[in-house]
Amino acid sequence: MSHRHSIFCILPPHMLDQVAQSGTPAQREMAARTLATSTQIRDKRVNLSAALTRGSIAAAGTAQRIVYDAKFGTNLPGVVARKEGDAPVADVAVNEAYDGSGATFDLFSVAFGRNSIDNNGMDLKSTVHYSKGYDNAFWDGQQMVYGDGDEDLSESERLFNRFTKSLDVIGHELTHGVTQYEANLVYKNQQGALNESISDIFGSLVKQYERNQTADAADWIIGEGLFTANVNGVGIRSMRAPGTAYNDPVLGKDPQPAHMKDYLTTSQDNGGVHINSGIINHAFYVTAIEIGGYAWAKAGQIWYKALTEKLNSNSNFQNAADLTFLTAGEIFGLGSLEQLAVKTGWTEVGITVDGTPIPPTEGDGCLKGLMKSLGFAR
Amino acid sequence: MMQIIFERAGGFMGRKVSLELNLADLPADQARTLKLLVDESNFINLTDPPPKDSAPDGFTYSITVKTETIRHTINASDTNLPDALRPLLDELVKRSRSH
Ligand SMILES: [Zn+2]
Repeated sequence: MSHRHSIFCILPPHMLDQVAQSGTPAQREMAARTLATSTQIRDKRVNLSAALTRGSIAAAGTAQRIVYDAKFGTNLPGVVARKEGDAPVADVAVNEAYDGSGATFDLFSVAFGRNSIDNNGMDLKSTVHYSKGYDNAFWDGQQMVYGDGDEDLSESERLFNRFTKSLDVIGHELTHGVTQYEANLVYKNQQGALNESISDIFGSLVKQYERNQTADAADWIIGEGLFTANVNGVGIRSMRAPGTAYNDPVLGKDPQPAHMKDYLTTSQDNGGVHINSGIINHAFYVTAIEIGGYAWAKAGQIWYKALTEKLNSNSNFQNAADLTFLTAGEIFGLGSLEQLAVKTGWTEVGITVDGTPIPPTEGDGCLKGLMKSLGFAR
Repeated sequence: MMQIIFERAGGFMGRKVSLELNLADLPADQARTLKLLVDESNFINLTDPPPKDSAPDGFTYSITVKTETIRHTINASDTNLPDALRPLLDELVKRSRSH
């Protein structure tokens, strides 16, 4: 006769710290295992362009990349400049959009089993050379759009390069499409900042995957390479240290907060969606570092599942915290290192996740239950 | 004399750019060009375009034209900007980005 306890036990933080410290060998082992798993995943990685031209992933969908040229106008999508299977062209922006959307498709496909933006083989459409002096990129609900930065200004005045230059920007825009088909988060206030952060998270993961970098080796910079040499900055945002990406006489200082105490209430930018996303970005970064290994393998998996199965259009920061914690428990087990890492990430940015639920086994105390789940006890 | 107040917000960076132009303070040819762009857009008779679902990372624009007798503002975004406004917007964006 089994008896289910209805009470979860809550471990105080100092006890968790102690366990985490004494758990070093297990953590190492866990990291080694993560590494092995990720390598296997990478080995299975398909070359998107080869696969598509061969039609070998036709069963999974028929996603085709199409890159258009707006020729500095604003009519979308513009004229076709390169489509799936075409050889590289002379225009570097076209090739960057083509390769970048391929890399993004690749990450979502291989790491999360997703078939394109809509998970149903939707074509990946991008337009480059949008408008004149357009220092921006956006997702218009159906496709990605990229400007050439400050191409219309004299070289000494230019602050921005073309926006296809940064792979994480391409991943960011495409992820807006994924979010639209999944949680469909309202683009305003906390919901909007969460939407923004999800794009930064997966945008960064696309770059890390492409570079085969573990969490501790990644730069966690969003928009790396977008600034010209005239700007004092490494990129638009830093997930590792929000608020430090740039500090420039013309552009000002990176305004992102890394903690809830600095949450910015504003009517601009849809309620500061590109500002307050720093808080969530940093929580993800801390979680990924805590878990170790390739960030897409575990932290990314947790967030992908939360995005596609748990979050909805009205989810706020607290919901994201609670739901990613719940999701981590579902995938890796209650009280698992991964779940604790999610909690640590949120704690770091000032968001408290409800206590760590450990389902106690018959006769086991809370600590024993936790030790078991960490693999220290039988 | 005419005054033009321009603001661009949102975008991938979430950085606001704004500009205030008193045509009386500008060289005559520049003032003439701007006045022409305002007139040719039929600005005073334009109304806000119907709202469209906000495009993530798209810019939003606010243009206000003031004279002694009139004050009129148009709010639009990358995805719903009226074609008639494009030449004026291009000029304002370029001016707001030069430094
Ligand atoms: Zn965005």
